[in-house]
Formats: sequence, structure tokens, C-alpha cells
Amino acid sequence: MGGYKQQPGASKGEVRRDGKRVAGKQAFPPPGSGGSRPTMAPRDLAFIPETVGGQEPKPAGDHIHDRDRTGTTVGKPMALVDSNAKVTGQAWYGDDVRLPGELIGKILRSPHHYARIKSIDTSRVEALPGVVAVATGKDAPHRFGVLPVTKDEHAMAVEKVRHVGDLVACVAAVDEATAIEALSLFDIEWDVLEPVFDPKLGLEDVDEPIHWRGKYHLSRTNVQKRVFQEFGDRSLVNTPAASSHGSWTMEGVHHGFTEPHAVVAHWDPNGRLQLYTPQQVPHYTHRALSTVLDVPMHQINVVRTFVGGGFGGKSDPFPHEMCAALLAREAGKPVRITFDREEVYWINRGRHPSHINVKMTADEAGRISGFDIDALIDGGGFASFGHVTSYYNGVLATAPYELGSFHYTGARVWTNKPASGAMRGHGAVNTRCAVEVGLDEMAEQLAVDPIDLRLANLLPPHSRTISGFRITSNGMREALEKVREGSDWDNKFRQLPLGKGIGIGCGFFISGSGLPIHWDPKNFPHATVHIQVDMDGGVTVHTGAADIGQGSTTAVAQVVAEVLALPVEMIHVRSHESDTSPVDLGSYSSRVTFMNANAAIRAAIGIRDQLLKAAWEMLGYHPNVLVLNDRRIYYKHDPSIGVSYLQALHKAQEDTGALIARGAYRSPPMGGVHKGAAAGLAPAYSFSAYVAEVDVDVETGRVSCTNVWAAHDCGKALNPLAVKGQIIGSCHMGLGQVISEKMVYGRTGHLQNANLLEYKIPSVHEMPHVEPIIVESSDPEGPFGAKEAGEGPLLPILPAVVNAVYDAVGVRLRDLPLTPDVVFKGIEKAMKKDKIDDPEDLPCPRLTHGPLQPTLVERANLHRERDRLRQRSEDTSAYVNGVLFGFDPNVPLEDQVDGWRDADEPLPEQLAELGFAGRAWLKKEQRHMGGDA
Amino acid sequence: MVGSEHVTMVPSPPGQRWAADVNGQPVEVLAPSNAVLLDVLRDKVGTLGVKRGCDLGTCGCCAVMVDGKPVLSCLTLAGQVEGASITTVEGLSDGAHLAPIQTCFATHGGSQCGFCTPGFLISSQALLDSNPNPSRDEIAEAIEGNLCRCTGYQQIIDAVEAAAALHRGETEAPAPASSPHPDPHPSGPGEPTMPPGHAK
Repeated sequence: MGGYKQQPGASKGEVRRDGKRVAGKQAFPPPGSGGSRPTMAPRDLAFIPETVGGQEPKPAGDHIHDRDRTGTTVGKPMALVDSNAKVTGQAWYGDDVRLPGELIGKILRSPHHYARIKSIDTSRVEALPGVVAVATGKDAPHRFGVLPVTKDEHAMAVEKVRHVGDLVACVAAVDEATAIEALSLFDIEWDVLEPVFDPKLGLEDVDEPIHWRGKYHLSRTNVQKRVFQEFGDRSLVNTPAASSHGSWTMEGVHHGFTEPHAVVAHWDPNGRLQLYTPQQVPHYTHRALSTVLDVPMHQINVVRTFVGGGFGGKSDPFPHEMCAALLAREAGKPVRITFDREEVYWINRGRHPSHINVKMTADEAGRISGFDIDALIDGGGFASFGHVTSYYNGVLATAPYELGSFHYTGARVWTNKPASGAMRGHGAVNTRCAVEVGLDEMAEQLAVDPIDLRLANLLPPHSRTISGFRITSNGMREALEKVREGSDWDNKFRQLPLGKGIGIGCGFFISGSGLPIHWDPKNFPHATVHIQVDMDGGVTVHTGAADIGQGSTTAVAQVVAEVLALPVEMIHVRSHESDTSPVDLGSYSSRVTFMNANAAIRAAIGIRDQLLKAAWEMLGYHPNVLVLNDRRIYYKHDPSIGVSYLQALHKAQEDTGALIARGAYRSPPMGGVHKGAAAGLAPAYSFSAYVAEVDVDVETGRVSCTNVWAAHDCGKALNPLAVKGQIIGSCHMGLGQVISEKMVYGRTGHLQNANLLEYKIPSVHEMPHVEPIIVESSDPEGPFGAKEAGEGPLLPILPAVVNAVYDAVGVRLRDLPLTPDVVFKGIEKAMKKDKIDDPEDLPCPRLTHGPLQPTLVERANLHRERDRLRQRSEDTSAYVNGVLFGFDPNVPLEDQVDGWRDADEPLPEQLAELGFAGRAWLKKEQRHMGGDA
Repeated sequence: MVGSEHVTMVPSPPGQRWAADVNGQPVEVLAPSNAVLLDVLRDKVGTLGVKRGCDLGTCGCCAVMVDGKPVLSCLTLAGQVEGASITTVEGLSDGAHLAPIQTCFATHGGSQCGFCTPGFLISSQALLDSNPNPSRDEIAEAIEGNLCRCTGYQQIIDAVEAAAALHRGETEAPAPASSPHPDPHPSGPGEPTMPPGHAK
């Protein structure tokens, strides 16, 4: 049976060699009573880098953390440290928090898409027996929002409701039935307004924009944010050897986490708010609560419960959290609010429905001369993370390829629908799909293999993208080569029979956002971790990192265990309460492993140094020659000279008591100066390449994905089991978006599938076999070389499947998801065009390599060597995007090329030719119109 | 709840005695006659390991075993299973020892956020009880009513396969989930007896 022991050591029957009582026989052995395993475990040399005397290969060269490795946990597959709580049903999620005397809160939601509230009469509600507290918008007039620049939400509608399901009022009652009945007793006078559903109409002036931004409002439109970014030599796109123009429609997608939102609020006897909520980003909730409730932050304790899936959908501060706090304050009793599944869809924050236009060009040498992206994204009723999404849709397409020029126009508009927000692969997913499919199309025009086209155009490690992102480690090439080999690509691509296809897609994602949203990184670090070790030897780690199932608690425990050479069971991570956790930005933008584990390593080194100093005093050997291994510290040339961990600990504590250390992480200064330069900046980037195989039923248009080879560069897999889990899970979520998932809004703007039956998340039967392939490029700044693995792996599955469908039936589809009707419509169109009656007679695309193919292969081979040297830091010359086009990396590009652009606003002469979303630039802000100030 | 149309709740029928055997313990609570099993288990019996994901029978998080058969407790009236023997996730482990299926979910990555895990464990255990040697397809069939958004199911199937092998006694229990140290103790090894393998 497994090792679930509530009393450590209680079930072990080992006898000590010295015949003494085995400490483990007691429920809780007193400190210093001796261990139950008398010999030290050997150092696990297979997990100690070769650069410091171990056997773990380090093809990318040495790493600053190599000396801190002890071979204890890093690189070894291990279960999540909280998995026993999860498999026994003891993990406590939002709705599992049951406080004595709790009331049940319910929320009244808007039945109108868009309406002004003329009045709310709550007298009948208050008169209902069993109702204890009632709140409406006027009880909480302060605005909040996840981004300080776009605070446009209220706890409940103050002036008007902006979508069906928007919060209007809330009530707390003694039981659920009473609370639900109370909701029908509100008397509300509405003034119904004209709603907007189509994001394309959002660019037009209307009488009553959904939000009003005063002097910054763009004319009278519903545009929340417009973006223009242009880099590079635009003249390169004028003479393309190949080009692809794709016009995409991507439907909105929901995170589909299994745990509905839930919150419990309680004001303790001292008047402090205790708020229990399954949050990815408890700190932002903490800030928003303080604003909305008008209570200082230190009078609020935000307790993160276990989070039953987040994926970005639990990273906004939510109005229902404010409602619970308001009701609990009024009632003087704990209030619990739990959503039903429909409410989960109304709060949404899923992926933006998008209209994306991509024009791509390649020159006669097979170099990518231009990406031209126009993205109109549907933000729904509120801003949420949309400001950032508007940038990400463009700028995260600037790598992994070397580009001649890059042009992006984006606009996010408000519509009267539930708000879109951040979702796994935030902002990068849809455009990534569009450009990867465009590359496939250009490869076909150039008569070259699409993998070779990619391999011949990759940015190397330690380089800069066209928009100025700093790329450090880069395992893109290895990922491509591994999936090519694993999938037997060269014997399958363009050679499979009709209905069977294989496709490639790549991904590029940030590993932690370089800019903390609420403060200047110069003034406060991104992440802080505290460690405390008391005389029992247990290590308590305080971090604010929110474990949402991705295993951040495990990662933190692992790195601390690694540095201190302790069993991971001795590391106790405390991350639930804001009272005890140092401020942390939470789990978004794939930052936790990179930033928190880095901070944790620093803190653990602080503890280790105190232990080594004590051992120095006891042994007389300098810490430089002491080794930590399995709860022992010893002289490295004679292991019998040593002290136990506990002896060293007690020595170190003699005068100070418990050992304390802290560590912090701050990203290095980076990035350009143009507007939006901070969007997409990250201390490291992850890379991935997938090959997908699909079966397409040509008669019904049904697509099923059968096999995926998924290579992801996560820098260093701290826990390969968790990394593989993230890769497979990302495949699942991305596959849902490309095959079946969409939020369906009917002609009347109603969300028609707000349940898990009609919102089609792939079941076990739709899931292909995924072969996760871990690529380790050893990031120089990552914790033990690690980068993110949670979001980036989602990106490539979409284009890989779309490209595979083309390989199977020869039809380019650009409407996601590829439901049977979409696919069959495409097949029908192709049949009509080729005058074919039977879909079984459709021609399959085939490839005969053109003259460019050997050129590309040769270039890719040269670049492989270039990349190897740069990865190992043997070649430290500067490399910026543009070198492939013959530019000198040591001279500013604008000095070398006439018309090199580095712009965040369109030139007047460009205005007429901007894409659809770009038309937002035709409008003026109110402050330039002499209007409303 | 959308809208202002007046909804008068069906008045809650007065509580009646409801008795069943939950995880081997006789349980008797007061519950209205129209109570749903999920609500009774969570709110009255206190087995909060049974999760509410959708209330519509679409996610499988609320699965429990009733007389050995997996059922969705959100679609079952408590009255229907009066007197039955009900097993929730809390009843899978034997005291302090995890059932093989639980251990394997942990060691094979079958659980990430963990919210769907209780339902998967029940479906899988019910399969293993009736079929000691299931194929991957049979496992997939057994868990087709369960939705997992984190794992992509692959590692769940791995876990069930491993648990089946454990049940059959073919393999040793996997090394305790998290570390090569089966019995951690802070003081570590008592004697400086050095095995080979330390670095230079």
C-alpha cells in the first residue's frame, strides 16, 4: 500500500544498529532522538550536474544553480505534495469552507443585455422572513479591476447593467431556498438600452458606449483599447516570393474548470475580514477588497482555498467576492456564495472571440519578410485583462522566427456579453494559430517542407526579437527536430491517404511577465519567499504562490528540499493566507515556477549558509569543502567527518533561535522604450513544437485527432511528471478549442450553451495519444534552469491540427472550432470548385521539393551549429533580429536601413490602408475632439 | 438567477428521517423528501469530498458508489437510495492507508487541481471491482462520464492501469509518492557510515 502515514514513521519496523529505540515508533519523535535509517543514502549522482562532479548531462553548459544541486529532488518525477489531500477528498475548495452559523448568499443577475437601472426597491426582499442582509450597487460605489489602468467593475451594477448575468443585487439568507426566493422580490425599474453584440460594430460611434472613459474615450465608440506596433523594414514585403493571407474567425472559449466559483466571507470579532476564495491571484483580490470595502489591506486576510482549476479564469478580483464581504459585514455572520455552472459562464473571462487577419510574406531565399496582423477581439462587458490581451495578440507572434518586418494593429471592443479575459496561453493562442497556418501555406508555395522552412528561420539563443524581447535559452530547434523524428514526419507529410493528415505547429510563450502590474519592479520584487526552520528540523516555507493544480507548491518544496538536501516531506509550504504569506503576484502569466522557485532557492541558500557556518564551527572545515546530502553535512574528502543536519541546526540556533531566511526575485531591466514595450516582456520564453495526426471523415466533416508528438522546452524539468501532465493537459485544452469548444451566442445575443453538456469539452474518447517530449535548454536565469510549462504547450496544438486537416483533405479552414459543419462546408466548397461529386475523390495535397529546399536545409544546418555555440555561451556576439537579412547587430538598425520602423502609432499616410481593427486609429480621443473632459 | 419574474420556491417539505450506510457507518439525518443525494451528502452528512461541479450530471465530480455501482449523486434523490450502502471518496482508503487507486492517482499524475479526482476515483474503483484486468479502452469507457480539465486523461488511465496491476498483486506498491525517503526524520542517519557515491 502507499505511503500515506498520518504519523510519520509509525508503521516502520526498522531497528537501529545501536539497539536504541526506533524513534519512528513514537507518534512524533522528539528532536535529536535519532533517525530510523542509520545509513546515509548515497548521493544521487545521476541528478547532480556533470559540471559539479555528478553525472547529469549539461549540454547547454553550466548554470548558476549547479552548485546548489544535491541530487535530492530536482529532475525526479514526483507526485504533487498535496496529492494525498486530493485523493482522499480532504482538499478544501471554495464551497468546502463551512463556518458555523453561515448564511447563504445569492446574486440577482441582469435579465437585460444592456439597461440603465432607474431604481431598485428592496423592501419586499427585506420583509421576507429568513433574509438577513441585502446589498445593491449603491452600497459599494468604488470601482475595481484587475489592471490599475482599467478599473471598470463594481461589486454590483451602479448605473447600468452591461450583459445578461451582470450583477444587480445580492442577498444573504438562512438557507438557499429563502435566498433564491428573495431574488424574485426585488422591484427594479429598467430603462432598456440598445445593445451591441457584434465586435465589428464596436468600432462605430454609438449614443451610449458601454463604458465612458472621459477624455480618453475614443470618439463615441466601444473601443476599449487600440494598439499599433510596427517594426522593421517594410519595403521587404513588396516583392514576396510567397505570401499567405488568412482571414480567421475564432469563437470565444471558456476555461471550463471543474470547480465553480465560490467564496466565503467572515468578519472576525476584531472586525477583520477573512475571505476564503479559490483564487489564482489572491493579492489582487486583496487590493480590490480594500478599495471596494474601504478597509485597509492589513485588516483583510485573504485565504486561498484549494483551487479546482483556474487556467486564467480565477485570476480577476471578482464582484461576487465583494458581495460576500458586503453581505457578511451587514449580517455580522459568515456568508457563503457558490455559483452554479451557468453563473460560471456569465462571469466568463475566457478567451476572446477574435477576428484575425494575417498577411505573411517570404522572400526568394525563404526568409520571412513580413508578418502583418490585424486582430479585432471581443472583450465583452468589462476590461478585465483585455488591455494586455490587445498587445499579446500581436507581439507574442514576433518569435521564434526572424522577421524582416512586423506590423500589428489590434483593437479590443466592449460588447454586451460576459467579459473575456485571460485564459491559458493568454492572447497568444489565436494569432499563433493564424501565423503557423500561414507558414504552412507559404511552405507549400515555396515547395519546401514546412519544418525546414521553420528551422531555417529561427532566432538563436541569446538574441533579440524584432520588437526588442530578450531571448535567453531557446530550445525551439531541438523541439522541432524531436517531433520530426518522433512522428516519422518525413515518411508521412503529404504522403498520407485522403482523410488522414499530419501537421506541424510551433509555440512561443512568456515565462513570467516582466512587469508586475501594480508596482514598479525597481521598487518591489516580483516574488518573495520566507523560510523558517525551528528546532524540530521541519522547514516551513511561506509563499504567496497560488497552487491551482499546476504544482507550484510542489515546485517550491522541491527546490528548497534540493538546496537543503532534505526529504521533501520535511518541507511544509504555507501558501494559503495573505496574513502569513509574503506578497506575491499569484499564478498567472506562467510566472510561478520561474519567479517563486527562484526566490525560494535564494531563501533556501540563506538557510543553508547558516547551517554550513555552524558545521564549519563544529568541524573546522570551510563551507567550500562541505557537502550536504541526506540530512548530513560532511567534509567532501572524508565523509566520516560530518555532523547531522539536526546537529548543525541546533548549533546554528544556539544564539538566535529558529533560523529565518528570505529570498526575492526581480527580473532584470529589459525591453525597449516604445509604447507597449513592456507587454510580452519576460525574463525567459518557452518554446514548443507539436506534430498532430488527424483523421477526417470526408463525408461528415468530423475531425478526430489521433496522435500528438508534443515537444516543449521548459528549460529544466524540475518534476518531469508534472511537466508531462502540463503538456498533455494543454493539448487537451487546445484541442477543445480547435475541435469543439465555443461559446455560442444566438441572434439575440444570449449565451446558449452555458453548461458542460452543450459546451463541448473533449471527453476521454476525443483525446489523442500524446507523446510528451521534454526539451531542456537550461535557462541561465531560471531556477535550476527551469522555465514555464503550463501555458506555452497549449499554443502549437491548434495550428498543428488545422495544418493536419489540410494535409488530410486539402482544404484550408480558418474558422475555429473545426466542427463537422465547418469542415464539411469547406469540403463542399472544394468539391464545387474542382467539380467533384464524391468527396472520396478529393485530391490530396502532395509535395515535390522545389529548388529552395536544399538551400533551406543547408541554412538550417549552419544555424544548428550557430545555436549550439550561442546556447553554450561560447559565442557571445550580439544577435538581433535582422542579422539573417544581412544587418549588422552592432549598429542600430534604423541607421542601416532607410525606413526602418520602430513605431507605436500609424503615420498619417498609413491610416487609409490599415486593417479592420486598425480602423480604430481613424477615430480621435475625446480630448482631441474638444468634447467631454 | 436571471430576471425579475416572481419565483415562489416549492416550499421545503419538512425534514424526514433519512438513513443509509455511508462509508461503512450508519448515518441518519433529517432531510426533505425532495432532497438530492449530493446535497444530503455535502450539507447533512458532511462528506465534502463529494464535489459539486455542474448539478446536471455532465461532469461526474459528484460520483459516489451506491451498493457498489457508481452513480451521479446530483441526479439521484436521496429517497431513492434510502438504506443503501454508499461509498464516497472518503470511504476508499482503509484508515490511514490509501487504496491502490488513490496511491496511483498521486504517483502517476492522475490528479492536478484535484476537484474532479473524487469522481474519477469512484468510477475507476467501481471498474476495478468488477474487472480486475481492464484494457485502456475499458478504462476510458469507465471514466467517460467524468470530465477532467487538467490532465488530458492520459495520466489518469495510466494510474488506473497501475492500480489494476496492484490489485492483481503483480507489482509492488509504487515508491511513496513524493520522495526516495520512505521514512524521513530530521536527524537523518545516525552514524557516519558512508556508502559509495559521494562526489569528489
